[in-house]
Amino acid sequence: MHLFLLGVSHKTAPVDVRERLDFSSRNLGAAVEALATRPSAAESVVLSTCNRSEIYVASENPERAREDIVAFLSHYHSLSPESFTPHLFSLDDEAAAKHLFRVAAGLDSLVVGEPQILGQVKDAFETAAGRRCTGPMLSKLFHWSFGVGKRVRTETALGEGAVSISFAAVALARKIFGRLEGRRVLVIGAGEISTLTAEHLRAQGVGEMVITSRTPAQAEALADAVSGRAEPWDDFASLLGTADVVVTATGSQRPILSRAQVEATTGRHRSGPLFIIDLAVPRDVEVSVGDIEQVFLYNVDDLQSIVQENLSRRTREIAHAETIVAEELLKFATWQRSRGAVPTVVALRQRFDAIRRSELQRLDGKLAGLSPDARARVDEVTRLIVEKLLHEPTEQLKALPDEETQVAYTEAVNRLFRLRTGESASGSTDAAADSTSADRRK
Amino acid sequence: MNLIPLVLYAAAAAVYAVHFAKRSPGIGRTATTILLLAVLSHTFVIGMQTMEVRHVPFASRSHAISTFVWLLALSYIYLELTTDERAMGVFIVPIAAGLQTIPAFLPGVENADPVLDSPWFWVHLLSMMFSYATFAVAGMLGLTYMLQFKEIKKKHLGYFYARLPSLHVLDAMNSRAVVVGWLFLTIGVVVGVVWAAQARAVAPGNSNLQAMSLNDPKILIAVVTWAVYSFEVVARSTMGWTGRRAAWLSALGFVIVLLNFLPVSYFVTTSHTFQ
Repeated sequence: MHLFLLGVSHKTAPVDVRERLDFSSRNLGAAVEALATRPSAAESVVLSTCNRSEIYVASENPERAREDIVAFLSHYHSLSPESFTPHLFSLDDEAAAKHLFRVAAGLDSLVVGEPQILGQVKDAFETAAGRRCTGPMLSKLFHWSFGVGKRVRTETALGEGAVSISFAAVALARKIFGRLEGRRVLVIGAGEISTLTAEHLRAQGVGEMVITSRTPAQAEALADAVSGRAEPWDDFASLLGTADVVVTATGSQRPILSRAQVEATTGRHRSGPLFIIDLAVPRDVEVSVGDIEQVFLYNVDDLQSIVQENLSRRTREIAHAETIVAEELLKFATWQRSRGAVPTVVALRQRFDAIRRSELQRLDGKLAGLSPDARARVDEVTRLIVEKLLHEPTEQLKALPDEETQVAYTEAVNRLFRLRTGESASGSTDAAADSTSADRRK
Repeated sequence: MNLIPLVLYAAAAAVYAVHFAKRSPGIGRTATTILLLAVLSHTFVIGMQTMEVRHVPFASRSHAISTFVWLLALSYIYLELTTDERAMGVFIVPIAAGLQTIPAFLPGVENADPVLDSPWFWVHLLSMMFSYATFAVAGMLGLTYMLQFKEIKKKHLGYFYARLPSLHVLDAMNSRAVVVGWLFLTIGVVVGVVWAAQARAVAPGNSNLQAMSLNDPKILIAVVTWAVYSFEVVARSTMGWTGRRAAWLSALGFVIVLLNFLPVSYFVTTSHTFQ
């Protein structure tokens, strides 16, 4: 059984191609089911996000699987194969596993380390598993990738630090105020960037949100969008007193907030700090406002440099994350190879057990005098001897370091014991081998 | 006997430092476990001494320090368990470990003056000790507040920014610690005055009791401490002295407490030498 991956990602295809091959907006479950009807795909998972559409299959015949997936994509999205095949990338076995591990770790994302992708990978797998389109191979692979994603998240700083201005502002607010529930936010100027920041703050559960703008209609619109309250522009300075966070982003050519205005609301008038986020260019807030003891003033450049710092920190963590991926890939490959030894192991056990049974049968007459209890014990003892004899060779076969050695060893075992294991038998013996090893562990 | 707690406090301090640098939850849990073991063994040591001399050991200064360390560790554990915040461990546990070296290497002889055998005295002693332990925690919270404040204000978001709790949390914890400490300090001082007056009547010739006045440095500094923390409590609620100002006062208050606790106790006071 081979692992095969075919798909498009932001690295191989422009956005219009990705859009046309996108599954997320349609019924993903139905797509996986449709794919699973193709005989070459014994197991399948479809991972579809705005940056990628990737199809993972476990197949006996990857060549055939490729043709089938292309046909499926063309049929499902009603596209001619020529329109998308130049943008496809495909990977086999270890390379495919490595790719999924990197995806789950956030290493393949447009913004390295972004946290959503791991959840998307989990959803993709669960959708497929829920429709019985997965089996032992993809199940193991995907669960392994969740572990890789989790390890990278806990052991590296790959996903740390805000990488957009509005998130950086929210992160700062959290370092000043702790939880933002119940905090009061004043938004001055209802442009695009203040909208984005207001939305992020709203998502953090801030309490009251007051919006004021020279254009009352814009203030009303933003207030509606973030369930806030619009106030007239004329007396925005009076709104400062009750605010914890102020976001300014007006188009004014001169500062609209002076030190005197802010100072009038601080000191004993205020119990906690005031965080002013000046997103306007040119700036809305006089620089000297930042000198007031209780005021933290950040402008676009300050936030931008935090973002830059965070991005370069993430870049420095890439090597560490790649090491984790490599380590896990090695373990996964060993597991996968151990499955290659399964047919030989199964045949070996069957051969030994057959010998045991035939010997017992031969001695049937001599054992006839024994009580049923004693006979059962003889049966048990012989079985245990066989188990013990086979235990070590089985473990060794499963733990061989590379494929070449494994072929040599299984070949040797096959010859030494005259075992017959063909590729054709492997599929059916997989389940048997899993059940015998489970028995042995009992 | 105080050596085992010392070793465990020192180990906990080291693991808290590693946790602070690496921010790994597993290491953090290890640090807490070691600290709990330290407090457990320390409880055992103090319990043994209590059984031996039939009161909480305090009369030799090194025993008093040991009891203080124990209360400090308990206060910190309370803080950690209620806030689920381990970043403060690296600032507080080393104080416990550092002070514990005194009882571990300079064991005193516990030989308490019989004049102390009064319930009022115990209330006085334990209240004072507990308030000082709480002020130690508040002082460290103030210090970390200033570190965090500086990084955010100067826009150099660096080492401490990523590791310390938010300013709001630090300020709230500081406020709580100061109020609790101030409450116990007040009880301790008032009860101390009442007890000294009573004891003087019972044992008029006692030199310690005769020395009890504001002229004694230990008593004077205790009153100054009370004044500083009283101001902090009042200023927070009426003058808006929160955040950085409260942090400064907490740190300053703790410096005075430490001064009173170590050099003054050892070398200067004449009123608090009961053995």
